[in-house]
Amino acid sequence: MVDFEVRRPQLERRNPAAFRRMLILLLFFSLLLSVPVPVRCSSSSTMHNNNWAVLVCTSRFWFNYRHMANTLSLYRTVKRLGIPDERIILMLADDMACNARNNYPAQVFNNENHQLNLYGDNVEVDYRGYEVTVENFLRVLTGRHESAVPRSKRLLSDEGSHILLYMTGHGGDEFLKFQDSEELQSHDLADAVKQMKEKHRFKELLIMVDTCQAATLFSQLQSPGVLAIGSSMKGENSYSHHLDSDVGVSVVDRFTFYTLAFFEKLNMYSNASLNSLFNSYNPSLLMSTAYYRMDLYQRPLTEVPVTNFFGSVMKTIHADSAYTGFSAEPKIEVPYVLEDSEADRMMLEREAEDKIYSQNKKNLRLSKIHMHLMLIAEFLTITRVSHFLSAKYAEENPYRRNRNPAIAGPS
Amino acid sequence: MATHFRRSAALLLLLILPHVLVGPVLASGGPDGLGGAEEEFSEELLLKPLPDRKVLAHFHFQSTALPSTINGRHHRLFPKAIAQLVEKFQIKELELSFTQGRWNYENWGGSDPMSSTNAKPPGVELWTLFDLPTTEVDATWKNLTHTLSGLFCASINFLESSTAYCAPHWGFHPNSDNLRYGALPREAVCTENLTPWLKLLPCRDKAGLASLLDRPSIYKGYYHSQRLRIVSAKLTGIVLEQTLTVVLQPNVRRNNPVSSTAGSLQPNWSMSSVFKKKITGQCVLAKVSRVFLELEENLVAELEKRVSRDSRSNPLFELSAVPDREIKELNALQDQSGSILYEFNVANSNEYEPLDVGMMWKVPLVWSCPHAPFHVSRFLMGSGNERGSLAISLQSTQSHEQFLGGSHACTVEVVAFQVVPWYVKVYYHTLQIFIDGKLQTASDVIEKLQVTPSEDKLLPGTLELMLRFPCSMHSGTLTLDFDKGFLHIDEYPPDANQGFDIPSALVSFPGFQSSRSYHEDDSLKDSPLLLKFQEKNVMRSYTEVLLVPLTTPDFSMPYNVITFTCTVLALYFGSLLNVLRRRIGEEERELKSKGLQRENINLMACGCRGKENEKTAL
Repeated sequence: MVDFEVRRPQLERRNPAAFRRMLILLLFFSLLLSVPVPVRCSSSSTMHNNNWAVLVCTSRFWFNYRHMANTLSLYRTVKRLGIPDERIILMLADDMACNARNNYPAQVFNNENHQLNLYGDNVEVDYRGYEVTVENFLRVLTGRHESAVPRSKRLLSDEGSHILLYMTGHGGDEFLKFQDSEELQSHDLADAVKQMKEKHRFKELLIMVDTCQAATLFSQLQSPGVLAIGSSMKGENSYSHHLDSDVGVSVVDRFTFYTLAFFEKLNMYSNASLNSLFNSYNPSLLMSTAYYRMDLYQRPLTEVPVTNFFGSVMKTIHADSAYTGFSAEPKIEVPYVLEDSEADRMMLEREAEDKIYSQNKKNLRLSKIHMHLMLIAEFLTITRVSHFLSAKYAEENPYRRNRNPAIAGPS
Repeated sequence: MATHFRRSAALLLLLILPHVLVGPVLASGGPDGLGGAEEEFSEELLLKPLPDRKVLAHFHFQSTALPSTINGRHHRLFPKAIAQLVEKFQIKELELSFTQGRWNYENWGGSDPMSSTNAKPPGVELWTLFDLPTTEVDATWKNLTHTLSGLFCASINFLESSTAYCAPHWGFHPNSDNLRYGALPREAVCTENLTPWLKLLPCRDKAGLASLLDRPSIYKGYYHSQRLRIVSAKLTGIVLEQTLTVVLQPNVRRNNPVSSTAGSLQPNWSMSSVFKKKITGQCVLAKVSRVFLELEENLVAELEKRVSRDSRSNPLFELSAVPDREIKELNALQDQSGSILYEFNVANSNEYEPLDVGMMWKVPLVWSCPHAPFHVSRFLMGSGNERGSLAISLQSTQSHEQFLGGSHACTVEVVAFQVVPWYVKVYYHTLQIFIDGKLQTASDVIEKLQVTPSEDKLLPGTLELMLRFPCSMHSGTLTLDFDKGFLHIDEYPPDANQGFDIPSALVSFPGFQSSRSYHEDDSLKDSPLLLKFQEKNVMRSYTEVLLVPLTTPDFSMPYNVITFTCTVLALYFGSLLNVLRRRIGEEERELKSKGLQRENINLMACGCRGKENEKTAL
């Protein structure tokens, strides 16, 4: 293109008619390029039919107790709101519950009132200790594992999945530390997300990060369907909420504490929107400014219930009759939302509407393109260059001509 | 002719067909009719007061599956996950243990079946015997570790690397053709490992004995070891044995007023005080559900000393529940008393009459537990980050005299098995053996020796050693020198400064067997726990895990080096350039002109404005 720009005046001087022709052709091709690739459309029209959560605590050592408590609180919340254990990948970088320094063995608390043991009887940790590395984290996201890795350690999401990715640890400008020895950079995260998008591993992704300067971690993201929430802006720290003098360390971070405060009021049938979650963050309480990156996300946040990410939707198969052993039964896959609650049905309807809306928009865009093409055709017949298009297209291709100085260059 | 043949063939077919059809039905119906050939599950709990004021609780769950030729892949009680594991990896025998804390061989026993089969080294230990051709074993082991890590929420997959496991010849297990052994001494053990283990039980922890397992109470203990053992054979099917051994401290302050009389009373305890729960009924799927309370032989001897045989009441302690049966051990030596088991049947308990086994002591009692012939410990010698030596020490407990009758010419066989990671480079030729402080020539003591030297970043070093010591020996020591290796910067764990662990060594005494014998009785045959106790097993003890500090680089060093180098370079080139580029004559001229300037300024300040002065100022 640079070549083209440089040589334009010479060409124009030599043959003004040829230049006009080329300009028209260029216009035509640029229009052709603007037509969206149909494969992309099909993936975005798949319905939301399952939920996954990846919860990561990246900090090792006892004094980082609060990071594990953060992660376990979120684990408890998503489990309470309906995501089953086999769809949660929990990564904990250290063992706090049975740590020798823990005065309350097999228990982890996120509040000094000790009302709630986060490490109940049913925790399933998928990656723990030395296994929590940047490499394994990226492998989980992108799904590139060794063949021997069991299913419970894989993120088996598909193009209908809504994924919640929660991370907490120590971070800084465009990085998050893993185990105090490695770093995950914003580029790594963006690349992994991009790869996930290309492999149709999610429909929508909510990234929630509680770390210092969390907003900088999202700066490289560019894949559509991604929504990101960070606990603090660039240059700000994220602080812990309070110290438990019996445990001896801080037990929860501010951002997570207020997130949990919001979720404790909800049950799995609640219809609270993401917008109301975002509005619940009070900068004076957080002592930092919560950051939301919404430019990659298409749906209006006021209409997206939080349970779309923190709750669960299951794909169930409706059968016409009772199970009849080995006889072949018709498999009708209908996405079915938990119970017959009003809110969830509304959500489904809204999604269907969205689908129709996007379909209409696509049709509209296609008809616009058609109109453009008609106009160009008319214009071409007026200027009597249509014969040229059909006969001499090969030689006169503006791209080829201008990229090759041997043809285009003045002799 | 042809038609005749065809006809007779058809007749034959008709004759055979009923047999073909009915045969399998009969065969499959046969074993069911026997009663014994069905999937079975049993749950048992053994409680035992320990001499150091603690309580041991040993849970034993056993499930059996029929061979797959009879029932195919369908299971009623047996966990499907385990059946699939056995089938996929062709496992003949497997043992996986998760342990936190160290078994105290001195105070909790060293020669009874409990210590030799259920005391395990800290962290994770896995060994497997495969029913596969030797070439496929390593690849299968790798896949197995990954599967187990997914199944039990632990990082067992770290055992897949060839630096982490070994193939012992005879030091670990008598027949170890296709055996692989690996240990992770630093693996954390917590609730998330127990949960999947409990999910293998048909009643999980919702009913039966497993409902006692209150997580905070278990993990508060001094020792807990969760074990899974699979034995599979084509003819008998699969036996899955799940045991959990915990040593707990009963709450002393609340239950026990300190008596002013000689010594303090043993703490009173009961299930409800130790586990904060009571048993409210058995798991309905269990064939056997029992609780045993065991009194050790030395405790029984103490009792017998104080109690006259005819008095029925027990003046030393009181049981909080009435036992259904009393089982006495048959001791080989007639003059000694054997241990006593009180049996409680869980089936009699329900929600309104829960079972709460416990002991209330009336008199202070002191007793000791039976010991292994030698008390084994292992330690490091030397200082610095370059070299050191490893020592295994055996202290005689004098108890083998009671096993062997104390004749003077007798010898004791000792087998040591030790795996050392490659970065601890052991020089096996430096092996020295001391008996009572005197250096011995190796050939006098060593019976058999098998060494697999380590290879850097490829293989761990393995030492299998069979020694023969005289019975009169009081202390024996083995020492080995080693150099500490260097790791690549990527290989250091995030907490490298803590040091590196050398897995526990295993010392076994082939001449001594730990087993209990009871009166032959039909009711004992259906108790897997007591059958296990009657098995003849070699006495074994594990040593401590060693922590070796290695040279760890200061990971901020590269930055320091860069900044220092940059400073030095800047100083060097700065001064070099200064010397090369500096022109002293020019500087002087400059100075002069500056001097002129200053004069001009002074002149200007005086208010004299001449044209020439202005020019020089510019």
